[in-house]
Amino acid sequence: MSTTVASETLFPLRPRGFPFPRHKTIPFRPFFLTCSSNLNYASFVSHQPRETLSPALAASLADTPILHSLQFPQTITNTFQINRTESVSTFSPYIYICIARCITVEGKIFVRLDLGKNLRDRKLTVSCNIPGKWILHWGVTYVNDVGREWDQPPCDMIPPGSVPIKEYAMETPLKKSEGDTLQEVRIDLKANNGISAINFVLKDEETGTWYKNNGRDFKVSFVNSVKAGLDTNIIGPKRGFDLWPGNLGQISEMFLKSRADKDVTSESRVSKQEKNQPEGFYEEVSITKKVLVNNSISVSTKKCFESGGVKDLIHFETDLPGEVVLHWGVCRDDSRKWEVPPPPHPPGTVLFKDRALRTQLRPRDGGKGSSAIITLEEEFSGFIFVLKQNENTWFKYMGNDFYIPLSSPNVLLDVGNIEDHSAGVQGEVIKEASKETSFFAFADTIANDIRNLITENPSEKCQKTKSKKPQQSIFQEIERLAAEAYNIFRSSIPTFSETTTAEPEATIVEPETAMAEPQATTILEPETAMAEPQATTILEPETIVRETWTTTIVVPEASVELEKLSLGPKICSGTGTGYEILCQGFNWDSHKSGRWYMELKEVASQLASLGFTVVWLPPPTESVSPEGYMPKDLYNLSSRYGNIDELKDLVKRFHEVGIKVLGDAVLNHRCAHYQNRNGVWNIFGGHLNWDDSAVVADDPHFQGKGNKSSGDNFHAAPNIDHSQEFVREDLKEWLCWLSTGCQRLVCVGYILSVQEMSEKINTWERGLLCALFKMKEVGYDGWRLDFVRGFWGGYVKEYIDASEPYFAVGEFWDSLSYASGETDHNQDAHRQRIVDWIGATNGTAGAFDVTTKGILHYAIEKCEYWRLSDEMGKPPGVVGWWPSRSVTFIENHDTGSTQGHWRFPCGEEMQGYAYILTHPGTPSVFYDHIFSHYKSEIETLISIRKRNKIHCRSTVQISKAEKDVYAAIIDEKVAMKIGPGDFEPPSGSQNWLLAIEGKHYKIWEAS
Amino acid sequence: MDVSVIGSSQAKLGASELANREHGFCNLKNNFRVLNDRVSFNRHIRWKKAGLSFTLRALQTEPVEEEKKRSGSGTRSKTVDGVRLFVGLPLDAVSYDCNSINHARAIAAGLKALKLLGVEGVELPIWWGIVEKDAIGKYNWSGYLDIAEMVQKVGLKLHVTLCFHGSKKPNVPLPKWVSQIGEFQPSIYFTDKSGQHYKECLSMAVDNLPVLDGKTPVQVYQSFCESFKSSFSPFMGSTITSISMGLGPEGKLCYPSHHRLPSDGKTQGAGEFQCYDKNMLSILKQHAEASGNPLWGLGGPHDAPTYDQFPYSNGFFTDGGSWESTYGDFFLSWYSNQLITHGNNLLSLASATFGDSGVTIHGKIPLMHSWYGTRSHPSELTAGFYNTASRDGYEPVAEMFARNSCKMILPGMDLSDANQPKENHSSPELLLAQIMAACKKHGVRVSGQNSSESGVPGGFEQIKKNLSGENVLDLFTYHRMGASFFSPEHFPSFTEFVRSLKQPELHSDDLPTEEEEGAESAVMSHESSVTMQAA
Repeated sequence: MSTTVASETLFPLRPRGFPFPRHKTIPFRPFFLTCSSNLNYASFVSHQPRETLSPALAASLADTPILHSLQFPQTITNTFQINRTESVSTFSPYIYICIARCITVEGKIFVRLDLGKNLRDRKLTVSCNIPGKWILHWGVTYVNDVGREWDQPPCDMIPPGSVPIKEYAMETPLKKSEGDTLQEVRIDLKANNGISAINFVLKDEETGTWYKNNGRDFKVSFVNSVKAGLDTNIIGPKRGFDLWPGNLGQISEMFLKSRADKDVTSESRVSKQEKNQPEGFYEEVSITKKVLVNNSISVSTKKCFESGGVKDLIHFETDLPGEVVLHWGVCRDDSRKWEVPPPPHPPGTVLFKDRALRTQLRPRDGGKGSSAIITLEEEFSGFIFVLKQNENTWFKYMGNDFYIPLSSPNVLLDVGNIEDHSAGVQGEVIKEASKETSFFAFADTIANDIRNLITENPSEKCQKTKSKKPQQSIFQEIERLAAEAYNIFRSSIPTFSETTTAEPEATIVEPETAMAEPQATTILEPETAMAEPQATTILEPETIVRETWTTTIVVPEASVELEKLSLGPKICSGTGTGYEILCQGFNWDSHKSGRWYMELKEVASQLASLGFTVVWLPPPTESVSPEGYMPKDLYNLSSRYGNIDELKDLVKRFHEVGIKVLGDAVLNHRCAHYQNRNGVWNIFGGHLNWDDSAVVADDPHFQGKGNKSSGDNFHAAPNIDHSQEFVREDLKEWLCWLSTGCQRLVCVGYILSVQEMSEKINTWERGLLCALFKMKEVGYDGWRLDFVRGFWGGYVKEYIDASEPYFAVGEFWDSLSYASGETDHNQDAHRQRIVDWIGATNGTAGAFDVTTKGILHYAIEKCEYWRLSDEMGKPPGVVGWWPSRSVTFIENHDTGSTQGHWRFPCGEEMQGYAYILTHPGTPSVFYDHIFSHYKSEIETLISIRKRNKIHCRSTVQISKAEKDVYAAIIDEKVAMKIGPGDFEPPSGSQNWLLAIEGKHYKIWEAS
Repeated sequence: MDVSVIGSSQAKLGASELANREHGFCNLKNNFRVLNDRVSFNRHIRWKKAGLSFTLRALQTEPVEEEKKRSGSGTRSKTVDGVRLFVGLPLDAVSYDCNSINHARAIAAGLKALKLLGVEGVELPIWWGIVEKDAIGKYNWSGYLDIAEMVQKVGLKLHVTLCFHGSKKPNVPLPKWVSQIGEFQPSIYFTDKSGQHYKECLSMAVDNLPVLDGKTPVQVYQSFCESFKSSFSPFMGSTITSISMGLGPEGKLCYPSHHRLPSDGKTQGAGEFQCYDKNMLSILKQHAEASGNPLWGLGGPHDAPTYDQFPYSNGFFTDGGSWESTYGDFFLSWYSNQLITHGNNLLSLASATFGDSGVTIHGKIPLMHSWYGTRSHPSELTAGFYNTASRDGYEPVAEMFARNSCKMILPGMDLSDANQPKENHSSPELLLAQIMAACKKHGVRVSGQNSSESGVPGGFEQIKKNLSGENVLDLFTYHRMGASFFSPEHFPSFTEFVRSLKQPELHSDDLPTEEEEGAESAVMSHESSVTMQAA
């Protein structure tokens, strides 16, 4: 049991609903800001608004770097993010506008060549006057080396602090010298070391951006090399040195790979001021660096009682530098007609053409940013404004004005009935609040007081609180607690109804909902009548698609029989047979050996004997990143894991040992082969030579000409526009080719011949051609679909219908809900999103149960095992709602392995496996865990699962969900507990035998 | 010793904490100042006084209470501030199926809300059918222990109701093994004239018969109570301050005479006598033979109506009907005495078991207010209370409670005559008054309850009226926590109710009555010694 009062101290940002915070928020209107200044490009990134946004979260979002494009030179980008939080209360919306602006910093790169004391020796100095961490990336060309332009310099040339980059380059950081701004690096050249030229580019380490000379490398050539006659391209050979464009190859490759957080594009102009000095040399190159600056504007409104009347108090705050002028007015109805409110106006306000007011924001204390407070009579329905920064920059909302609705009488009416109930209480409270505008300053202390009251852990703070303030907040706390209790009680299905069949009325689909969610209701499988789950939609308290059982199984023997009948022969791509146990057959480093397919083949039979039925292989396609998740040519199956022959060999081997094979299909994005006219990488090559119409339009970095994305964008590569029919057809064809191979050969052959006629056939395509002519199929049995958040689940359904996989699972990974740094107990919204996605695929694909993983993390880390039961007494993850489509896992190549983005509590993995391997859903075991010291324990767990015929739809009866222990009985055959606490299965009709016991877990079998 | 800052309802907590944690005392005061201020909405509260009187009340034992009454009445009129408020936890707080807490988070939140409101404690129904579900003597208290711990952590008191009956809503039957016995031996249940068994409670006729695997129900109940006592020993007397003994159908001391709901859902019939199980009939037979009228022992009254029949539809309850005859008196005396004997059996068992645990024992009787306005009081008669226009049937009941030093729980405090259907001749107010008068006469303290979960119109007003009168009430349990309790339609009026309970006391405190000081300091010195003793 949790004994602390969950009273967040976030009153200023999250005004608590009083007295009953019904979560009836005003629908979010997406705000877009355009910046109509002299900037030549603007982009918009709209983030999903969060209704209850903690300040910390808001801040982190604000800091989130937004632009990723590196293939996007000469563009200035402004991005705005608006997070709007609202709650129903006397305090109304809080808008937080994040402005990400690019600021141009102009500077120069100086290149100077000095003569040393010995006339044959020279000294090359490269410096830059823009602040930042600069690195000189350089290499040399040797006199006698004809083929290579870049090579490692001799040791005596390398300045201290340099790092060699492979065999051809050196990176040397620039160091500060000559005052504050200038950074430089110096390279000494000896006459006798046979160097004909030095090539370099400058790299900004903070952003990973390369600065070049008109898009080329800098090159400094030396006279003697000219004399040697090896380099005929040097301009002005008489002068013996120059800057000239060099080879792009290596650099551009890196350029592609680097993922910069900030978009910095370089624009450099070479101003050649060649000097007629025979041996000395000085060159300046102007560059501009675009720095992304995050600013924010926050607008909060609240009701106040002031001199007898209700007033709206609007508070502006921004950290935009310089003079910021608020250009504003009010309106009375929805027409949004500007009107000037009657005085008094805030100080520094001037009337503008009788239509608007201009208020100069006043600098805040401490000098950073500015703010203003505007007080309005309550009569107005809305507040309209635009912001003006400096002379030319206006901030608007999609070209229109910002509009903030003020709580109109209508809005009040919405919450009116709530307030009525406690009129006596609240009347008093509000009056108190009005006297003290800084009321919320007390909030923290009050929250502590409440906490102390409950935990009887007094602190000294409470002595300072004034008597009336706590009253109010304690009442708020009471109301909040009551509302919480109400919501849980209301949504609970009382357990005493279990002897009867599970109340069909409660889950009946209402007609309207059924219409709205046609897919959810058509999932019914023929066997539904017996033991098959049924997807239904429930309106209360929120629309959810979930799985419920139409009948509860009473007689175990009979039910097993029935299950065998119904589940045995039935294969559904979302579930397989229902008895699948998945093995993730790789980790983040598996590509490193270059022969993973062969290595995995060695353990195939071992995996089979462990009890796995399905293995998930890494992405097979050519990829920009070695791990395979940045695919380029989909038909090129040579990857860092092995070539197509090895892959087919491996698949064949798995089939021999009775394991189905899932291919990792990356359908969301694809890396381009070519740049468009703007230099943006969005033209594809290879077999599927799509143009930019296959790229979604709403990621400005890739200038796609397709439609808007049907999901979230993955910013590192062009996102594929699945709404284009040709794209879908191509992808379906590809998936079919991957699974069955030959049927598409004719077509592929034809297209390749077309390719042939076009300009070039690269080696990949040649390899592909060879592979195709061998006419062997790859033979995947199903898919693991990468980043399915990026596109609509309905497309997935199409792909699955076309490729008819044995099993399919999508990776729908988004963040759990966090409240003040802790995960909420209730992750229904999170699993709802996953369930919605599964629903959109019509149940043709399962999804990884990220919710369960997240909750397991918290249950184990914080010893809060009560989290493992939801309010209905079911598992709290996707597995509690739609077990047959839930693929439970505790770790994968992203969350664990060498990446560790979201690692399972260290050392507690077996608790996780004890949970997922005994529970319904299809469990997935991570490769790293199989081949670790957990191996025998995992093997035992799998054998228990198999022996007791636990399947993806098994029933869970939670016996205990307490602070330190979670216990459940599955199918009345297996009892399990995790956590340090004690549990013994109830000795009733069954006799329980301990099957395995490990660190903080125990599993029993009924005998 | 600085007791001056202890606030109202929390005083008890502070004081009992004192026993364990001396150091906590002065720290607590600040919190309580806040709390009290919140509850009372009063700036000028005089802590000293409120704190003292409450401290006392919390720690009262019988002799002290008597003294308090005497000393207190002189200085202040007794107002409702003396009533401690409890709220019932959901009936299904612990699930029947897996013995774990149902909607634990909701309960946790609810407990905190109640604590902050200034509620004294909560009532927890503990079901025989859950704890001793599978086999005789095999108890599983885990779910209930968890709740007790929750309650303790929040700092509320706990009133435990031991339910030796079953229930349809929530579906908690009698223990499985008892039901199995009942299948072969249905005579352990109450039986009506038509031979139908009431399977949610054992007949009181088997109290001392070894029908349960060779043990008598009383022995089984006793073992249950003893197991409860030892299992909850860490809470006894501290968190658990009182225990209700289940006495019959729905926990109340009565026959299940009205277990069939009226068909129109409103007008209640006379109810039906429940003396037709084998054992009951044999007792009746013996009794009739002993009294020299063996023919009277062959069955119940032949002319009594059935459950929802109009009382006058047969001869028994009509004016001048059988009930007024010698036979009627014979039967009704026997019938009601059986009930009192049964109540005495169980309450003496409870007193003996829990007498040294620092808890008070309660028993609940029903408020059979239908037909109270008639001479024969049919509803009460069938339920086992031989109370008519010419006979006070509650005096022997109150006397029985007094004999066992038990407190009486009276439901229906929210019912007003005005809201009763006219045709029923119903009068909950008069009946309550009669029962409370009987209790007062015998020195039995009464705990109030409201009648139902769903709010009765004007219920709070009626409760307040009942609480504020000069009566024997010292505790009120409000039923029951759940969705509707916390609903926006209900909870605000409940908070209002709680506030209003505290309000009158504060008015009197507001008055700068200097002359009270002397009396108070006398009280104070007396009480602080009590506190010290308790500590």
